[in-house]
Amino acid sequence: MKKQENNFVVSFENVTKTYRISKGKYGLLSETISDGLELILAREKTGRNLIAALKNVSFKIKKGEVIGIIGRNGAGKTTILKLISNITYPDKGLVNVYGKIGAFIELGAGLHHELTGRENIYLYGAILGMARKQINEKFDKIVDFAEIQKFLDTPIKKYSSGMYSRLGFSVCAFCDPDILLVDEVLAVGDVNFQKKCLAKMHSFAREKTVVFVSHNLDAIKQICTRVIYIKSGKISSWGAPNSVIKTYLRDQKLSSPLLDA
Amino acid sequence: MKNWIIELWYFRELLWALTLKEIKIRYKQTILGVAWAILQPAALTLIFTIVFGLFLKVNSGDIPYPIFAYSALLPWTFFTTAVSFGALSVVNNGNLVTKVYFPREILPFSAVFAAFFDFAMASIIFLIMLVYYKIDLTLNLFLLIIPVVSILLFTAGISLLLSALNVLFRDIRFLVPLILQIWLYATPVIYPLDQVPEKYRFLMLFNPMTSLIESFRNFALHKGSVSAGMIFLSIIVSVLTFILGYLFFKVRERVFADVI
Repeated sequence: MKKQENNFVVSFENVTKTYRISKGKYGLLSETISDGLELILAREKTGRNLIAALKNVSFKIKKGEVIGIIGRNGAGKTTILKLISNITYPDKGLVNVYGKIGAFIELGAGLHHELTGRENIYLYGAILGMARKQINEKFDKIVDFAEIQKFLDTPIKKYSSGMYSRLGFSVCAFCDPDILLVDEVLAVGDVNFQKKCLAKMHSFAREKTVVFVSHNLDAIKQICTRVIYIKSGKISSWGAPNSVIKTYLRDQKLSSPLLDA
Repeated sequence: MKNWIIELWYFRELLWALTLKEIKIRYKQTILGVAWAILQPAALTLIFTIVFGLFLKVNSGDIPYPIFAYSALLPWTFFTTAVSFGALSVVNNGNLVTKVYFPREILPFSAVFAAFFDFAMASIIFLIMLVYYKIDLTLNLFLLIIPVVSILLFTAGISLLLSALNVLFRDIRFLVPLILQIWLYATPVIYPLDQVPEKYRFLMLFNPMTSLIESFRNFALHKGSVSAGMIFLSIIVSVLTFILGYLFFKVRERVFADVI
């Protein structure tokens, strides 16, 4: 955690991130060995089989903002969240983050299906950096919000997918992060729970920061103060939600005329 | 390195939580539960006693063969359990590694600590055996802390190294059981070190587990052939293995999420 300068909590400066796409089944032994050596020696990635997930992306997020990130599948939205949360690192450029992160990137990540709901709250809480004491204090709130009182001592492999995502989101939301990252995960919950989550994220926004990736444009419109539209690894446009969403929808129509119907 | 330790300290509760998870999950939906921790070294001791003690008459000096075997199988089982689970820990927790940030070394560490829990359980049987075979329980037992901590460091170092390698080369999954099996025969577990022909004995000392296991047995049973120099060397090798494993792991850690 670094000391905060001015009031930016996240800043990307000319960030480029490339991924290696795998060679397929019959990779030559020599290739495998040279790639392996490259991985061990941590040399810079060479040109073969590379795909750029983000190209020279720069933006800043201020404290208290609710940022929506939209774009087609594979545009680089999740990569941005992973860079913010330090899960992966840029190949070029700088990523600076000030504050504690609560990342809810995928349904059920960090939950273990053999453990009970109660055990999972403690485990996931610890994964998100909460001390046991903190979890004890928030325990009732988490259970209430997730609406799993009855199933607290049931192994979560018996849970429905809605219960899974409610549990995951609740722990994240109550782990008291400075920056909450939410990927497209609310789609699983029912309408009521989605509303609750959006309200929770909205209430966050006064003092904290939220970065919200979603295909649900209505939700984005409802809670976001600013929207970034990512198009094949580059920022295509950013600004007020309504205008960016309009640009996005226009693009979508151009690329797939079927949407007109 | 200082930063790593500060960060690890910040995440200490996670290390504890993941260790508990490892222990709980390992014995969930088993009938015998934690008893498995004791059964593994005990069953091996039984079969080794029959084959090597009774049939092949391995000379364990004036130490009865069962406690001779158990006193080595106890730390050996810890080593193999920890390394087997530790080597796979990062890949098996791939869904965590790609979704949440935390210092990744917590994964192999928690595997090692969970195996240490088994070790503690199996030690109870060892104490009972010591009493049964009328071996003096002296303050010497406290000296066991030296080989135990050394083995712990050595095991953690190997687990760090293998778990990082396993992310890149999944061959490790198949190599580990094979290597551990060969390693057992290259370590004086079944036989005492002084039964190895003199001209080959120095070769045995290239295996760090030799002096670690021998010194554990020596301190526990007050008998054997371990010299102070060997103990000192094994401590140094353990610390070095730990540091090298840790360094390698931390350097490779950055690509884990991209490669898994």
